[in-house]
Amino acid sequence: MPNPANPANPVHDRAAPFANEPVLELRRAPVRDSLTAALAELDARLPLHAPIMIGGERGADSGFESTDPSAPERVVAYAGRATESDAGAAVAAASRGFREWSARGAAERAEVLVRAAATLRERRLELAALMVRECAKPWPEADADVCEAIDFLQYYARAAVALERGPELVQVPGERNTMRYVPRGVVAVISPWNFPLAIPTGMVAAGLATGNAVVLKPAEQSPACALALVEALHGAGLPPDALSLLPGFGEVGAALVSHPGVHTIAFTGSGAVGLEIVQAAAETPDGQGHVKRVVAEMGGKNCVIVDSDADIDEVVPALVGSAFGFAGQKCSAASRVIAHEAVHDALVERLAGAVDVLAVGPPERFGTDMGPVIECEAQERVLAYAREAGQAGRIAASAAAPSGGWYCPPTVACDLDPDARVLREEVFGPLLTVEAAANVDVACETVEALPFALTAGLFSRSPATVERVAARLPVGNLYVNRGITGAMVGRQPFGGNRRSGIGSKAGGPDYLLQFVEPRVVTENTMRHGLVVE
Amino acid sequence: MSHCEELLVRVGRGLHAALPRPSRHPIKALDAKGMELASSDAELRAALFRLVDVTPACRSHDDLARHLTEYLKEVDERPQALQAAMRVAHTAPGRAALGAAAATGVRHMAHRFIVGESPQAALGVLEGLWKEGSACSVDLLGEATFTSEEADRYAARCEEALEVLSAAARSWPQRPLLEADSAGPLPRVNLSVKVSALTPLMRPEAPHVGRDDAAQRLRPLLRRARDLGAHLHIDMESLDALETTEELVFDLLGEPEFGDGPSAGVVLQAYLRDSGRQLDRMLEWARASERRPPLTVRLVKGAYWDHEVVEARQHGWAPPVFEVKAESDRNFEELTRRLLDERLTKDSAGKPDPWHPLLRVAIASHNIRSLASAIAHNRASGGEDHDLELQVLRGLGDELGVAIAASGLRVRSYCPVGDLVAGMAYLVRRLLENTSNDSFLGEQQRGASIDELLAAP
Ligand SMILES: Cc1cc2nc3c(=O)[nH]c(=O)nc-3n(C[C@H](O)[C@H](O)[C@H](O)COP(=O)(O)OP(=O)(O)OC[C@H]3O[C@@H](n4cnc5c(N)ncnc54)[C@H](O)[C@@H]3O)c2cc1C
Repeated sequence: MPNPANPANPVHDRAAPFANEPVLELRRAPVRDSLTAALAELDARLPLHAPIMIGGERGADSGFESTDPSAPERVVAYAGRATESDAGAAVAAASRGFREWSARGAAERAEVLVRAAATLRERRLELAALMVRECAKPWPEADADVCEAIDFLQYYARAAVALERGPELVQVPGERNTMRYVPRGVVAVISPWNFPLAIPTGMVAAGLATGNAVVLKPAEQSPACALALVEALHGAGLPPDALSLLPGFGEVGAALVSHPGVHTIAFTGSGAVGLEIVQAAAETPDGQGHVKRVVAEMGGKNCVIVDSDADIDEVVPALVGSAFGFAGQKCSAASRVIAHEAVHDALVERLAGAVDVLAVGPPERFGTDMGPVIECEAQERVLAYAREAGQAGRIAASAAAPSGGWYCPPTVACDLDPDARVLREEVFGPLLTVEAAANVDVACETVEALPFALTAGLFSRSPATVERVAARLPVGNLYVNRGITGAMVGRQPFGGNRRSGIGSKAGGPDYLLQFVEPRVVTENTMRHGLVVE
Repeated sequence: MSHCEELLVRVGRGLHAALPRPSRHPIKALDAKGMELASSDAELRAALFRLVDVTPACRSHDDLARHLTEYLKEVDERPQALQAAMRVAHTAPGRAALGAAAATGVRHMAHRFIVGESPQAALGVLEGLWKEGSACSVDLLGEATFTSEEADRYAARCEEALEVLSAAARSWPQRPLLEADSAGPLPRVNLSVKVSALTPLMRPEAPHVGRDDAAQRLRPLLRRARDLGAHLHIDMESLDALETTEELVFDLLGEPEFGDGPSAGVVLQAYLRDSGRQLDRMLEWARASERRPPLTVRLVKGAYWDHEVVEARQHGWAPPVFEVKAESDRNFEELTRRLLDERLTKDSAGKPDPWHPLLRVAIASHNIRSLASAIAHNRASGGEDHDLELQVLRGLGDELGVAIAASGLRVRSYCPVGDLVAGMAYLVRRLLENTSNDSFLGEQQRGASIDELLAAP
């Protein structure tokens, strides 16, 4: 039995082409046992401490705490609560770090990222366990989160090396044209708790790979996960000034966004905060020598269209996984099913039955299908939406949820009033609505009418329908005949359009362009009528 | 050539010679033509599968015709007949006719593999098989199980099948070869069940959850089978279900109330790299068990090869199955030998005791070489022919079944029962198998000589 923490993996070598980090084979008992053991080890060390880290200096580490959503009395980590002045200090450090870090070539920077990836890989069991505790991620998704973080480091490391070469330009005799991409400066990363390792890693890695310095403000719910990333990068040889960690709340994020020393803001989170950031970043006070750029990944209201020729045997598990995986707390999660009227009733019945048997419970238990939501306010919000769905329609299924943690029952609602709020707003929790449509084109109109355009799904076995719907829907990621979550780095570059996001797709070939500025140099190579190249 | 290999070739040639002449029935010939077309062109094959797959979900002949033409559009080189089909599909009456023809074709194909819509409807075929010298195992096809009601319904159908079959089988004529071996009587009624249909809670990362839930439905079935004197066989599915299935069967059969029955069986998949260790576990269990009826082990190669390989590739795992067909074939022969050698207990004098075997052995394959290796090894090691069962699938191994029976060996035909909607996944799998270039049947259809077919893998 190979060590499950270190499965044979050819990707350690930066020269090897990118390949996704394999998730653990949880169907094998020894692999499961190794995770359970890692959790016990972690539990023995709790609570952890996540300090403010500016320029490699560990600062305060006890301003607030993160707790276990399945047992809120358990403190997972104490964290320093960064202030506005910490934000200023971190940006100042980043400006210093930027000079040293950007002076290194892309290849040398890539080495650092790949080394950090190796550290995450070595610690993968422990990190998965940490996500189980700090964010109540069930094992399969916690493990996938670590893998995605590794993927981002590996992928952007390689992409930055390729980007450094610059594109080919048209050349004519007597002149030499070159174009290259240079880092923009300081990146502020503001990351969410729902992918507490993968998403900050993606944004931080993109900034660093291209030669920027980064200040990371992770979600207040998951400071310990963010610390693991910062430690891995510092340990891999990153200059300490090039990456600071500011655990804390909204006010630190706001301070970073409005700081004139910040060049790029990479944000993943709610639409409301995203739009505030866009607005604040547009302020360009005197003395700020640049216009800020915002990369924002925001919410969605993700629909799945089920045509009459769909294979319901495939639809049901795909919907259950997409709507209730990690309790629906993914920006890609399915929240609204629009089914052809010929299959609607049968689908509701089977879906409801499948949801009735879901096991809701502590995420560390293998066999738990759904854990709690992240915090008390989230629980209240989801329950309120579910109540509203019950008033505006019919609750078709609602599995039992235990008490003690921030649990919500996974819920399917149908026969809803078309004006119901739950049909338009992002719930970000385990609530799925199902409605009927006369045909696929009507369903497409419904999707098009939404302001969001992140993910969508289509189940159809007609090639013409697939082509038509794919051409028509505005979403960033359309999934056909499968679940709509679980985008893989390099395979499904991920990101939304319209009010779901600005910027290009994470884990895709053009993501890094958002962190650089193009510069073109044109040199005259004629001297006295001679070409002197 | 070793003695055993010589014997194997002789047995294989004998089986081959006993195959009935290919049928001249015009519809069968058309069927064969279709299969041949599908095996010769990958795009055409894909179009055929997609058509079969979508048929039960189409709401009208027009809808079916529309799907068919869309699939055919993706085929670069269309045979004349299909070209014509696409032309007629431009008008509504043309589509209706084309859709009707396609539906008939698919239904016909299904009938080849599925013996009836219900156990009642299947009785005629099953009795016919019995009279011709073949026992059967009935498999109830169904849609995937996602809900408790669906699992309950499947269990109820199984129970009903046991009853209907038991009532009918009583009046079947005696067939001594099919009804007993050295260890004792063999039930006439034999039902194959799938664990994934018995519970909506199959969770590869939590085998105990599915095991506990399925146990609540399998236990009453075991009781019913015991009381009716029927055999219950637990099929094996993809690797994701293996641990659940293994734990479930071993746990339940170990319960005291099942000490005297029913006769029950499990499946060993030779394409799994780990199958040797799985056999170790079965033997270990059988040695420790105090049950009276020996556990039947059906050796197969494994029906989920593509699924296992694709799933492993998508996750970056080492595939759990062999990746070279000959390795599966060799392992199949190796496991056959081990099963035949290690099934026997020793009496107090240390001599093999054929009356109290640990296991009963069933070899399921359409590969004459694989079957012949079992027959030959059994004979070479002093076993009785009637202590070895050979199994084939209805629709794929019919002619082989006739040849096995004609050779005086015991054969059982695995007979799916269910409607078209429920049977579609099964049908597609069988068609895949039948048209796969790598398969024995594919080679046989392409006219490989018996020497090539019998060559050591
Ligand atoms: C009565 C009966 C019951 C059965 N029950 C079950 C069951 O419970 N569970 C189950 O999984 N299957 C079952 N099967 C199906 C069986 O596993 C095989 O799929 C089928 O019989 C084909 O194998 P073969 O020996 O007849 O043909 P062959 O043509 O000799 O072998 C084909 C088989 O070889 C293997 N193979 C194909 N390509 C490769 C490759 N590149 N590398 C390695 N291996 C490869 C696959 O297993 C494939 O099915 C059953 C079959 C029969 C006849």
